Amino acid sequence: MYEKFPEGAAQRTDPAVAADDLYDAVIVGGGISGALIAARLSQAGRRVLILEAGPAEDLTLRGYEDYLNRFYEAISKDNQAPYPALPNAPMPRGTDVRPIVPGAPDASAYLVQNGPFATDTTYTRVLGGTTMHWEGKTLRMLPEDFRMRSLYGEGADWPLSYDDLAPYYSEAEREIGVSADVEDQAYLGITFDDDYVFPMKGLPLSYLDRTVAKDIDGMEVELDGVQRRLRVRPFPQGRNGIANPDYDGGKGYVPQGAVSAYQVEVGERCQGNNNCVPICPVQAKYNAGKTLAVALRTGRVDLVGQAVAHKVHIDERTRRVTEIEYRRYDRPDSPGFTTMRARGRLFVLAANAVENPRLMLASGLRGSSGLMGRNFMDHAYLLAWGLLPEPAGTFRGTVCTGGIADLRGGRFRSRQAAFTIDIHNDGWGWARGAPMTDLISLVDSGSRYGASLRQGLVDRVSRQLQLAFMVEVPADPSNRITVSPDFIDALGNMRPVLTYDIPEYTMRGVAYARQLSKRIFARLGAEDHTAYNPNFWGYAVHDGEGYEIRGGNHLAGTHVMGRDRTTSVVDADQRCWDYGNLYMVGGGSMPTVGTSNVTLTIAALCLRSARAMLARLDSETAPVNVTSNRRDAAPTSGKAAW
Amino acid sequence: MTVSTIENRDDLIRYLEAALALEHATLPPYLTAYYSIRSTTNSDAAHIIRVAAVEEMLHLTLVANVLNAVGGRPDLTRPGFVPSYPAYLPDGEDDFTVDLRPFSPEAVETFCKIERPGKAPSADERLLSAPADRAPLLVSSPTAEGMRFYSIGEFYEEITEGLEKVAADDPALFRGDPARQVGPEYFYSGGGTMIVVTDLDSARRALQFIAAQGEGLDSGIYDAEGELAHYYRFRQLQLGRYYQEGDEPGTPTGPPLSISWDDVHNVKVSAKLADYPPGSELARVAREFNADYGALLALLTQAFDGRPALLQDAVCDMFRLRDGFNRLICNPLPGHDGLHAAPTFEIEPAAGSDQPAARDAGEPTRAVTP
Repeated sequence: MYEKFPEGAAQRTDPAVAADDLYDAVIVGGGISGALIAARLSQAGRRVLILEAGPAEDLTLRGYEDYLNRFYEAISKDNQAPYPALPNAPMPRGTDVRPIVPGAPDASAYLVQNGPFATDTTYTRVLGGTTMHWEGKTLRMLPEDFRMRSLYGEGADWPLSYDDLAPYYSEAEREIGVSADVEDQAYLGITFDDDYVFPMKGLPLSYLDRTVAKDIDGMEVELDGVQRRLRVRPFPQGRNGIANPDYDGGKGYVPQGAVSAYQVEVGERCQGNNNCVPICPVQAKYNAGKTLAVALRTGRVDLVGQAVAHKVHIDERTRRVTEIEYRRYDRPDSPGFTTMRARGRLFVLAANAVENPRLMLASGLRGSSGLMGRNFMDHAYLLAWGLLPEPAGTFRGTVCTGGIADLRGGRFRSRQAAFTIDIHNDGWGWARGAPMTDLISLVDSGSRYGASLRQGLVDRVSRQLQLAFMVEVPADPSNRITVSPDFIDALGNMRPVLTYDIPEYTMRGVAYARQLSKRIFARLGAEDHTAYNPNFWGYAVHDGEGYEIRGGNHLAGTHVMGRDRTTSVVDADQRCWDYGNLYMVGGGSMPTVGTSNVTLTIAALCLRSARAMLARLDSETAPVNVTSNRRDAAPTSGKAAW
Repeated sequence: MTVSTIENRDDLIRYLEAALALEHATLPPYLTAYYSIRSTTNSDAAHIIRVAAVEEMLHLTLVANVLNAVGGRPDLTRPGFVPSYPAYLPDGEDDFTVDLRPFSPEAVETFCKIERPGKAPSADERLLSAPADRAPLLVSSPTAEGMRFYSIGEFYEEITEGLEKVAADDPALFRGDPARQVGPEYFYSGGGTMIVVTDLDSARRALQFIAAQGEGLDSGIYDAEGELAHYYRFRQLQLGRYYQEGDEPGTPTGPPLSISWDDVHNVKVSAKLADYPPGSELARVAREFNADYGALLALLTQAFDGRPALLQDAVCDMFRLRDGFNRLICNPLPGHDGLHAAPTFEIEPAAGSDQPAARDAGEPTRAVTP
């Protein structure tokens, strides 16, 4: 089925009228977090306003194909290639990154990089957010990822356990539409309910995966005195596969295809295209537009686009947010704007782990714990690339279908970072720009053309193997987002300033990953072509060895959750300790990133928080007994500070 | 209603074989129009045609399931299975022919006729006399000589009623091996889902689904699942607006759709290999296309002959068809005033037959002319 976007929904809300309204919730950001919360609140009868920084137009197949065509025509095929640059709501772009000269922040692009480490990490500011360009890998976190401090003395503990989040993982897997088989995904403590199956059956491993598996399955690795056998394992994917008839107690599952204002039939199954990132050609990959359509169909969700949140206003006496002031730009290509406000019973910052703290800090709200913006995390990616002895069908299948997950957890994490290994079906694309670079070199250096060029390209790329080690980065308060009046964007909003270094703990994991990649290549009989360029912007040295480190766009940790208001920014419901009606949601709440891509966990957290928000709205809108003690009147869970 | 033209299982099988050919016969015209659209243009039109084509493939497979269920053997390689275009529809409708046309108002007009709602004015008019001066090669009623159907919907009504009759007389009608059925896991990207046929009820559902998805027989413009029938999908291209739930057939009220008739490769209508310059690369590519298409039909025949998993391989072949189309359609056909080349769908006998497989470039095939 297609996901029906109600015609006119993106434009029907007059911001001036909305300004005089009191919504049950005002949500900043129309990505997966905002969409899920809007859907849940509106389905429960609540009225919601979403402020979206990007232009808001009805989501139609035609509009989606404009993104697609922009990508096809773009020279650079980076994560933002399909999405038009917005001076009024700029987004970081991987191509922006430059080596940082110590002491001189690189302010040449929207994300100001203070260093010392430069990162190409990005996020997308359009309706649907970064799920427009995400890869769609939907690993659950390991139970031990929630208890890193207790178990390994590294990172932080969550105020939630895996078991607390498990039902919401299941719910998130339904919302996103995950294809996977339980037997492949139950490892290292990950458990499922007895009768659980994923909505859709697992997507098959690529021919490249199976080629690698032939030699790697069973390979023994000893780490911290524990012997492990590696195995190439399929990843769970947020893209449509064969619906599992056993899902939901035998009710089955209907894959959700493209979102559009008119009836379309496309996207109900992955076609194996190779450009999931930056955009799935058919919308078989989930994007948050699918959930936004659900939310808007309730008729209780208003959406205002071209609305960049400028300031969160606080009543210091009640310690509550009173309104969000936003700048609504008149046109995407000119800086004229109107200052507007939005009011609600609850406010939900669902931008992302950079924009959420940026807005708070720009509003002068540092948080009583002093942790607002601190503990920025991402994954550190180390790539290793080689040539297999035989053609292995590289460039067939989606970007990534399988990898090695056996080193995601274990006692070694008290000393060094864990990682997941992706086998990339797009060859040396990420590391060295394949296949474009191969094409250019065959033409320029090889003087090839016609059939010889075609064959030459096939010969070159079909043996390429690129392993991507997704290495965890622990929370470090020094890694942080700040703002400065010295750096503002076209609308006069303060830009995010990132101060970031790769912790030693992560670098020990990186160094081990490189050693392991050599062993894997040797076992495969692959020629190792990995060479790290000292002039690379993300070059990092550890124990005398240099590595190229890339960002994962898995933003986390800038408003971490915790049990204690002095050591965290939000509680387990993602509610701000400081302001009783303010929720900061998304990756920023995560105290650890573990070794899984963050979106599934973000979705699970938001689904959980939506319940808490509904309970709070119910209690706040219940008849109030007037007493002299305000605290007694507010039926809170006991954790509230107001 | 006149006397049923389906008396026994053999009659039924002949009808189902005709249905198989009918469902397939719509694919070359839909695909030709679809691929004639210049890439990145005419999104609305391209998707509407694409959906119809994909769902015709669903119908083809549903008919194969019914045929297999009653112990038949679907054969997409038999001579004449692919009609020679322009062609009359295999159910015998004779007031129009189907050409292989570029995307154009004429093509859309034909598509609407193919999918037109077809309740005959009275039961007596379901089956009509076919005019005598018509090419005899295309089946009308496969069992009653000289008779043809009012519409595809009436054609399927006849089959459904015949099926019920034969099933009542023959308790062992559904004798086919269930392992030959194609299940829902093999079909996607269109409305509707595959129906495994094992008994009268599932057979009836499959046939009624086909008729309803084409033309909305009895059920209005949307079916029970909220899916728009093909006829109305195409009407959107004529009326310039999308339908939405609650609309009356003549007045869609959804978002406007935009059509650019000029953003089309103007291919020669129902081109033949004889139109291609002998010995040219273009002629070679056109022959390769037909060979690939013939191989795909052979693969589908195997899939419908007890090896449904082969449909996975067929998906790759279908992607290759796209490449084959593009190789031809982007090129002008020499000597035809700027008209472009297009696949001719003149299919050689399947590999393994006694017929010579290769022919000289540009030489006309044995294809019959209408």
